[in-house]
Amino acid sequence: MTRERTLGKTRPTRREFLQGVGVTFVVGATGIVGACGLEPGDDGLPLASAPDAAISPNAWVSLAADGTITIQFGGTEMGQGSMTSVPLALAEELDADWDDVRVETVAEHNPVYGNPARSRDLGYPILYTAGSATVRGYFTPMRQAGAQARKFLLDSAAEQWGVPVAELSTEPSRVVHGASGQSASYGEIVARAKVPEYLPEVDESEFKSHDEFRYLGKDLTRLDVPAKTNGSAEYGIDVQVPGMVYASILRTPVEGESPVAVDDAAARAIDGVTDVVTLPYGVAVVGETVEATIWGKAALDVTWSESSRFRATDHARDLDDYEARARDLDFHTDNPLWQEKGDVDTAFANAERVIEATYRTDPAYHAQMEPMNATASVSEDGKSAEIWVSTQTQSLTVLGSAEALETTPEKIAMHPMYIGGGYGRRTEYRQKYVDDALFVSRAVGKPVKVIWSREDDVKDGAFRPLAAQYLRAALDADGNITGLEQRVATPTVLGYMNEPRWAHAQGRDGIAMNGAQTTRYAIPNVRAEHVIVDRCSRLAPWRGVATSYTRFANESFMDELAHTLGADPLEFRIDLARENPEGRAVLEEVGRMANWSEPRDGRWLGVALSDYGGSSVSAGVAEISVDETTGVVRVHRFWMAIDAGFILSPRNTEAQMEGTIIYGLSNALKERITVNGGVVEQSNFYDYQVMRMNEVPEVEVRALTNTRPPSGIGELGLATTGAAVANALFAATGVRMRELPMTPDRVLTALTAREPGAPRA
Amino acid sequence: MATFTINGRDVDVDAHPDAPLLWVIREHLKLTGTKFGCGVGQCGACMVHVDGQTAFSCRTRVADVEGREITTIEGLSETGEHPLQQAWIAEEVPQCGYCQSGQIMRAANLLAMNPQPTRDEIVAHMSTNICRCGTYSRIVRAIERAAQEV
Ligand code: FES
Ligand code: FES
Repeated sequence: MTRERTLGKTRPTRREFLQGVGVTFVVGATGIVGACGLEPGDDGLPLASAPDAAISPNAWVSLAADGTITIQFGGTEMGQGSMTSVPLALAEELDADWDDVRVETVAEHNPVYGNPARSRDLGYPILYTAGSATVRGYFTPMRQAGAQARKFLLDSAAEQWGVPVAELSTEPSRVVHGASGQSASYGEIVARAKVPEYLPEVDESEFKSHDEFRYLGKDLTRLDVPAKTNGSAEYGIDVQVPGMVYASILRTPVEGESPVAVDDAAARAIDGVTDVVTLPYGVAVVGETVEATIWGKAALDVTWSESSRFRATDHARDLDDYEARARDLDFHTDNPLWQEKGDVDTAFANAERVIEATYRTDPAYHAQMEPMNATASVSEDGKSAEIWVSTQTQSLTVLGSAEALETTPEKIAMHPMYIGGGYGRRTEYRQKYVDDALFVSRAVGKPVKVIWSREDDVKDGAFRPLAAQYLRAALDADGNITGLEQRVATPTVLGYMNEPRWAHAQGRDGIAMNGAQTTRYAIPNVRAEHVIVDRCSRLAPWRGVATSYTRFANESFMDELAHTLGADPLEFRIDLARENPEGRAVLEEVGRMANWSEPRDGRWLGVALSDYGGSSVSAGVAEISVDETTGVVRVHRFWMAIDAGFILSPRNTEAQMEGTIIYGLSNALKERITVNGGVVEQSNFYDYQVMRMNEVPEVEVRALTNTRPPSGIGELGLATTGAAVANALFAATGVRMRELPMTPDRVLTALTAREPGAPRA
Repeated sequence: MATFTINGRDVDVDAHPDAPLLWVIREHLKLTGTKFGCGVGQCGACMVHVDGQTAFSCRTRVADVEGREITTIEGLSETGEHPLQQAWIAEEVPQCGYCQSGQIMRAANLLAMNPQPTRDEIVAHMSTNICRCGTYSRIVRAIERAAQEV
């Protein structure tokens, strides 16, 4: 039972709540006061009497008479830890005993639970876990909700005991009256509490100060960790639904084609195969066991259409085309500039010297360990469905599923599962693996679990886009950088994977472009431009979104400028960051950590700086060696200093940095997707190799402490990796690698082409 | 029909002899802690023990385990408190967690053969298994911690 209450005029309206007016909006004042299982009290308001009765002072928390505190989590957990850290912020202000807390992941598309930091995507807050925005967006609302619930408990206790509320304080999950020594657990108070007419309001000034925190800033075991050591954590692929069948799908080898003739006789003859379903983009073999569907898929004989424009893709030529567009200063697409500061044209017109360079990056695959999969049970009329899926976004999964079935969002009941690696892969508006399960279930009238093979996952992958970037800098007679321009020729990612958001984005594709801006350096005239080109593959945000290529380019270019000007790369950056204390601080810190100026035998250092996820900033230093006979670059150590505001969990922050650094280095040195004739040429981990334990460097991370609100950490470590390695490689060999990945063959070619006596740094 | 022992329990499974052990464990027997990652012996997510030795269950036919003893992550310890599992929690190894069943099974095999491995031995042994979240340094620390406690 849910009671709707009318809120007084002084309360923000639901509409105001949705828009997140001001910084002091009251999270709980949403018009929703849930009061479940309550008996009416003397005044007709419900009274919690049953032990499992609960009061929800706001949408986020439910307080049960048995002491259980249930907190709603609007994100999804994929190993980044926010299923713990976000509810923990609520529990902290509620002054809850963390042992009493249960966390539930919100399983619906309900903007009340949307992330305020994701309000612009569709014009209202959505449930979408990406871009390192979860803690950043939910931190203050969670504290509001916790503080409000605590006030409700204090008010209730004051009324129950007939004492002034000002004389009460709290201990974990207890209200205490110091003067009389009386105290009661939160559960006991709830058992006798009435749902108030009005919810107490909370101002941020009433929040705990940082030195009052019991939990935030300390290392608690993440809630999801124990189940991930004994096999009990349930991922999408683990779902078991009564009456379920399986499906494997032979997908079109080239995007845009469809089956024109299907010979399924051999497939149907396989024991356990029950159905073959033709889809617009493939042929599904349905059966009683996974293995029957895999064998059935292999036995299909399908003739495909041959009309797709992607058949014309040619990796090398496409990249050359992108490069020509990037370098053509007269070529513009009709989207606005990504960044414009000062007067760049005048800076170049007056330049004493112009330095320029072009950087090229191949597409990258997420290689999340859990291949794409989904389970769906579609109703007989085909207009409603229950779905089980590992997704980074409850909102888009529900909206996309409703669109797929041509129905309305409330007809989709979804179960978000643990995610076996997200990294941006599971963020699309229309998720193909969900479409698969919906369409096949609708066709066979049974619940269906669709599991992609690893080969499907690669060949039908949605990649970080191919990109070519042109950078130029204007220098004056004194060697000052007066102008900087970065032109990024890459497709629109949003325009492919999330059209409704692209419609709201006014031509600014943050997924294709983040990191192309210059914010930390004192350069007066800056321009960054997204030169939108045709896509050559399916696309998705990758971990670190665009920073793995945009920062590779602009932080390699900074090194080129330092070299041109005869400056030490670290000193050069520290000087340029003179107006940005945070950027300067992480550079200085990482320099100390790495012992920057100390030469070492056979190893070289490279540095890079990047911001990410709100106000977070990081500086990374790579220590490498290179085998000049094989071209193999080995990263031995990686140091990183970060400023991400207040750190909620130091241990988890370190883990996220280690993970993102390894992800970035793996890509920078090894990972490469190529698409020719519309076919993705890689298949599995033998030809798309990722870093293993024997290749990873020792990583050292230091977070500068401060009390600014927390900003993102889940991707921050990645942005500096490519440039730091390329810059170290230049220091080692005098060879400037302007192409990612820096595979041994490419390094060897560059070393061979090196002029005898080429400069060494 | 295949007959074998899994986590100490005798089972008869109605599966084709060529069925990969992985899918028999996960979908016939509903022991979903063992994961599918690549299907080709490249990632280690599917690792189980067959008669005490690690095996890629994706590359093992169910016919090949006839009469043998299989252990999966669910059977590594009755209570989930194997020293490695405790060390995994103490070092907070898992991120997404998807690879970790395989990692723990691989590590258990190492400690069974070599109770006090050096760091290099750990790295050499564990490089069969991919962790895309990059938890490698914590895996090393957890194995070292468990080795001290065994
Ligand atoms: S699934 Fe068996 S090794 Fe990858
Ligand atoms: S914890 Fe995610 S793949 Fe290892």
